[in-house]
Amino acid sequence: MENKEQLFDPVCGMDIYGLSDLKHVTHAGKSHTFCGDGCEHRFKQTPDRFLGEPLIRLENVWKVFDMGDTKTEVLKGVNLRIWEGDFTTIIGASGSGKSTLLNMIGLLDRPTSGKVFFRGKDVSDAADIDRAVLRSAAFGFVFQQYNLIPWLSALENATLPLIFAKGDTDGVKMLKKFEEIGLKDRVAHRPTQLSGGEQQRTAILRALANNPEVILGDEPTGNLDSKTGNKILEMLISLNRDEKKTLVIVTHDADIAEKADEIVTVRDGEMLRDHHIHKRTYTEFNV
Amino acid sequence: MFKSFLLLTLKSIRYRSLRSWLTILGIVIGIMLVVIIFSLSSGLERAISGLLQSFGSDLIYIFPGKETNPVASIVGGQKFKVDDLFALEKISGVKYVMPADVSLLNVEFKGEKQSVMVHGAPWSGMRPIFEESQGIKLASGAWPLSEDANEIVIGDLSANKLFKTPVRAGDEITVGSKRMRVAGILSPIGVQQDDNSFYISINNFWLISGSDRIAVTAIVKANPGVNLDLLARQIQFELGKQQTVRDFSVLTPAKTSQLIGSVISLVELFLIVIALISLVVGAVGIMNTMYTSVLERTKQIGIMKAIGASSENVLSLFLMESGIIGLTGGLMGILGGILISFLIGLGAGKLGTQGLFSFASLDFYGFAVILFVTFMTGIFAGLLPARQAAKMEPAEALRYE
Repeated sequence: MENKEQLFDPVCGMDIYGLSDLKHVTHAGKSHTFCGDGCEHRFKQTPDRFLGEPLIRLENVWKVFDMGDTKTEVLKGVNLRIWEGDFTTIIGASGSGKSTLLNMIGLLDRPTSGKVFFRGKDVSDAADIDRAVLRSAAFGFVFQQYNLIPWLSALENATLPLIFAKGDTDGVKMLKKFEEIGLKDRVAHRPTQLSGGEQQRTAILRALANNPEVILGDEPTGNLDSKTGNKILEMLISLNRDEKKTLVIVTHDADIAEKADEIVTVRDGEMLRDHHIHKRTYTEFNV
Repeated sequence: MFKSFLLLTLKSIRYRSLRSWLTILGIVIGIMLVVIIFSLSSGLERAISGLLQSFGSDLIYIFPGKETNPVASIVGGQKFKVDDLFALEKISGVKYVMPADVSLLNVEFKGEKQSVMVHGAPWSGMRPIFEESQGIKLASGAWPLSEDANEIVIGDLSANKLFKTPVRAGDEITVGSKRMRVAGILSPIGVQQDDNSFYISINNFWLISGSDRIAVTAIVKANPGVNLDLLARQIQFELGKQQTVRDFSVLTPAKTSQLIGSVISLVELFLIVIALISLVVGAVGIMNTMYTSVLERTKQIGIMKAIGASSENVLSLFLMESGIIGLTGGLMGILGGILISFLIGLGAGKLGTQGLFSFASLDFYGFAVILFVTFMTGIFAGLLPARQAAKMEPAEALRYE
């Protein structure tokens, strides 16, 4: 965290100052430096896209959990850029800090130090209520454990974000969405009466209730069999492809990582350089 | 907004219904106590003042001891000389003086022995006080004509309930060591103690109890139109001349009901303090429940915040929940209190004290206050845990399992 010179990869946002074997590209008369082939390749394809402000930017984000006598450093100065419309996966071993990273991106937690920018605006020390409004309007969360409220029906769960955002629900509109995904006759059921896939589909409808720009998934298929998991994944990816929603998914699954525009690898609370190459290292093939 | 939140709250309360009901129960008990105390004490006050009125508004009572603590001096055994009491008849405005004494004596009827309160007073005074001032007539038989006749009048309960065989006018009964004839039986007075008593002339009372022309108390009957307060002061002065009983009290009906009223308010105050304490206990119960239920639902709080709930949203959900619990407790406490008071009133009615419970003594303004207080109790009890829950970061709350 000492004050040193910094050089950021314009695509992934990593601090690459002082590293060897960096890639250099000259665009519009200006030189740009990249952490590896992946970022260089992406930049070359659409250079102008990466010259502006990203949708979400993490700047030297630290997260330290204070457990009384021991302090655990979960994130150690992460610099990261999430670009609008991208499908980004975050991979890494258990305990690497990838879920904490996702929480930082989705404003579910505040960094111990460092900053989180949303559309160029620092939201890491914004007021509680502002963060709540942003969460409600811009983010939709899908969790591994589905995280539905046990005392509410599927329909009530899915419309809950509307109550918090607008104070009221539009049950009819939501009912139609349930119909579209083939869950119409399950809307009155409580989460415990639904299968894992049904719960996760309900959770996706809930995440979409306020029509957010960003969908965040914390191992959304981790508790499902591969067939159901694929269905959920297809739903999420189609949101990215067809509705141009920014999708960030934390996963163990190499197949998911394969489909992403950007792969971010986390190890011991730090983003790895050449994160595109490392994808097979921390996926389920050898975990 | 409010409607949606209310619905969410109700679903959440119903989801953990046993826990919710137990919390509600904690409030119910305190409120029930308050309602019972309020509804019965005003009934009790009315019953007593009614009783005093039935004694007649032209009677002045004399008894030993300070007026604030009559029981102690009666138990203390100080008694007036009857002649000192009769001397009061010289005061103008006094129609007559009726000295009276009471003792617990053994009685025997057809081989069956009982202990009975026996009241002794001159028939000449007792009869008009029963008949005119209290409106109590004989159910059967006739009043004894002579003060020295070996005759007795007994109460309704002592005639019909005390012995296996009901006592009838004309029967013989042994009081102490004296065989006496039952001259008359009183119609029910409505006060259990009086209905269970025996009444004899003061002369016979002295004979049986072995005392000599003394009496523990006296009732002074005033002439019509006399100022009772003035008369009471004259009696106080005249009776002050005797040396047997130094401390004595002279009570007019107005003063008596005032005294009893203040004693009842004191008891009422004491009971209300107890009730308030139990309400505080109930509030701590709500607080405890809210704490555990916040803890239980930490994860759900995280979920709600993750999908866009603000701290205010979470806070209002929890406060509504604890408020509803408090309000329900108050409502059920009021209903339960009314029911129990009604049953107590019914039981007291069966035992001879009528009108202890009545809807008239229940105050709807008071109920509104109780409901408001319980609602606020719930809100305040929920405030601490709810605020703690509301200010958590979503990720922090989501980590809870």
